[in-house]
Amino acid sequence: MSAPLFVGIDVGSSATKCVVLNDTRALVGHHVVTSGFDYVEAAETALQHSLLQAEGVKKDVAYCVSTGYGRERVAWADGHVTEITCHARGAKEWYPEVRGIIDIGGQDTKVIRLSEEGRMVDYRMNAKCAAGTGTFLESTAHKLGLSLGELDGLAMESKAHAVVNSYCTVFAGTEVIERIKEGQRLDDIAMGLFRSIASRVAEMLAVRDGALAATGGVAAHCGALIRALEEVLETQVWLPPMPQHAGAYGAALLAAETNVAERSSARHVADR
Amino acid sequence: MSTAAGKRVKIKAQKRLGELMREHFVDLDAAAGDPSRKVAWCTSVGPCEILTAMGFEVYFPENHGALLGARRVSHELIPRAVGIGYGAESCSYMTSDIGSTLAGVSPLQEAFGIAGPPTPEVLVYNTNQCREVQDWWGFYGRRDGAPVMGICPPTHVGEVTAEHVSFVRGELERLVGSIEERFGTKLDLDRLREVVALSSQASALWRRVLDTARAHPAAMTFFDGVIHMAPVILMRGSHKAIEYYEALLAELNERVTEGVGAVPDERFRIYWEGMPIWPKVRELAEKFYDLRTVVAASTYCNSWAFEEFDGGDPLEWMARTSTEIFINRDEETKQKFLVEMLDGFGIDGAIFHNARTCPNNTNSRFGMAQRIREESKLPVLVIDGDLSDLRFFSTAQTMTNIEAFVEQLAEYRR
Repeated sequence: MSAPLFVGIDVGSSATKCVVLNDTRALVGHHVVTSGFDYVEAAETALQHSLLQAEGVKKDVAYCVSTGYGRERVAWADGHVTEITCHARGAKEWYPEVRGIIDIGGQDTKVIRLSEEGRMVDYRMNAKCAAGTGTFLESTAHKLGLSLGELDGLAMESKAHAVVNSYCTVFAGTEVIERIKEGQRLDDIAMGLFRSIASRVAEMLAVRDGALAATGGVAAHCGALIRALEEVLETQVWLPPMPQHAGAYGAALLAAETNVAERSSARHVADR
Repeated sequence: MSTAAGKRVKIKAQKRLGELMREHFVDLDAAAGDPSRKVAWCTSVGPCEILTAMGFEVYFPENHGALLGARRVSHELIPRAVGIGYGAESCSYMTSDIGSTLAGVSPLQEAFGIAGPPTPEVLVYNTNQCREVQDWWGFYGRRDGAPVMGICPPTHVGEVTAEHVSFVRGELERLVGSIEERFGTKLDLDRLREVVALSSQASALWRRVLDTARAHPAAMTFFDGVIHMAPVILMRGSHKAIEYYEALLAELNERVTEGVGAVPDERFRIYWEGMPIWPKVRELAEKFYDLRTVVAASTYCNSWAFEEFDGGDPLEWMARTSTEIFINRDEETKQKFLVEMLDGFGIDGAIFHNARTCPNNTNSRFGMAQRIREESKLPVLVIDGDLSDLRFFSTAQTMTNIEAFVEQLAEYRR
């Protein structure tokens, strides 16, 4: 019999991420696919690719925890935990001393605070709109005829301090057009968009009492976001080795931490 | 996967509640069609006792607003009210109710087979909860040519003083005078005393019903409360409400004695601050049930748990209860009340509902949630939503927030 594997699968609104750990909790497989409209298929694809990398098969999976907005759609998961807890768990594994985690995903932004002992003491999620999320950036980039990567590349060239005041995706689009009309440089406007997100995060991060890390897809792909966060928060923001996989990694760690007896009876991993 | 073990027990009194509601609305409909009977509209926190004592049948529009929300039709009706100038972000009870009138639809038609809300002969408000009720009633006053009158107790009250009570009592006296003049009838103070005594008795029983959730496990939940509170609003001042709560209390006390919880295998206990999210009551109840978490207490359900009447001046009792309700108090008094509730009900964490169209019944906009967290040392969550308008609510986001909150409670307990 093969050594047991532990799987974390994060079915997000934009991307589905999978992480596989072996019985020593070493990360042996991972994959990311676009979630699209079929979360079930996305989860299955991400799992199969991750298992291939881990040189395992589905029956080797001892326990699987799903997370993300589509967490309840993963029928083969043994338990599900919110992405808030999973991002906190993943980031804490990479940085045991981290006290604040900024997760900027496609659909929402979460700010999580940990105690000195690593316990989740508080978290905040953005209100019901795209303000400060990956969707905000994608939509605005699209309006400018750019990809998110191109928007990031442009922003990194910015030398001036431009600010986009609007959090609202629609109003930000209008504001960007106004700035272009005023003759502002596009790279400065692009950086202003990242600053807008960072300002939103600053509002949510009311208490700053320790090291910060950024996770999620936007942090993974946009250096300009980290730059904006560090500028607005006036502190260094750590970027873990696999920011986009932080939730899946946390879920896989929680799967590995579930003991054998609980594995057979658990309804929800948080029941522990 | 995440379903609670243990057997769920239904509240048996609910069957009687359904019958009472039908009787109430059918009778109200009959009153509207009977020239010898008079219908008054009144705010849910009174002063309905005066109207009952003066022979009016009382209809409560806020109940209709809640029904529209619970039936998930508000978002279709609100645009009609917005179309005639009511703000999309003003009270969604008001805009959905006005919208339903403009559309000529009402859940009362399907639920009780009646035409809809009865036409008012007078509309009486109490702005102790909000000023919106005055404007809401104004729409119908203009439509029906009916008088709109009411009282405006002082707001943001700290300690309720004799001066406060005397002022509001004066307002009530003037209101009585206006109704007497308009309808040529006199208020019988003995009859008012009788109605107030019945009202107070129902209210006291309601408080005892809510207090059964102090038991571990809690005998009822907030989601039971928002259903079973109907008689203390719609039928207070009547024997029917008292009889109903006596039966409900006996049933819940039996649960307490036998250790039967509303949520089997109860793990965590939560306090709900703010308005219910009517279109999502059932879904939220199921979510908490799955998480084996009981929402054991709320500010909202306590809004109709008034202090007991001592048999003295009924107008003074009405003035005092109108002034001292939670929604009408200053931040310090509210905070003290909340901390006592968290302690008394053995609460593990509090959820504040930021109802986007109900600023008066939302207490998370001036730092209260943070202050409660600091004082009680308990986790606190603020969720965005609304009492009726689903356009302000994200199911996925809210459910994730609630699940994460319960995960946080689990971490606190470790």
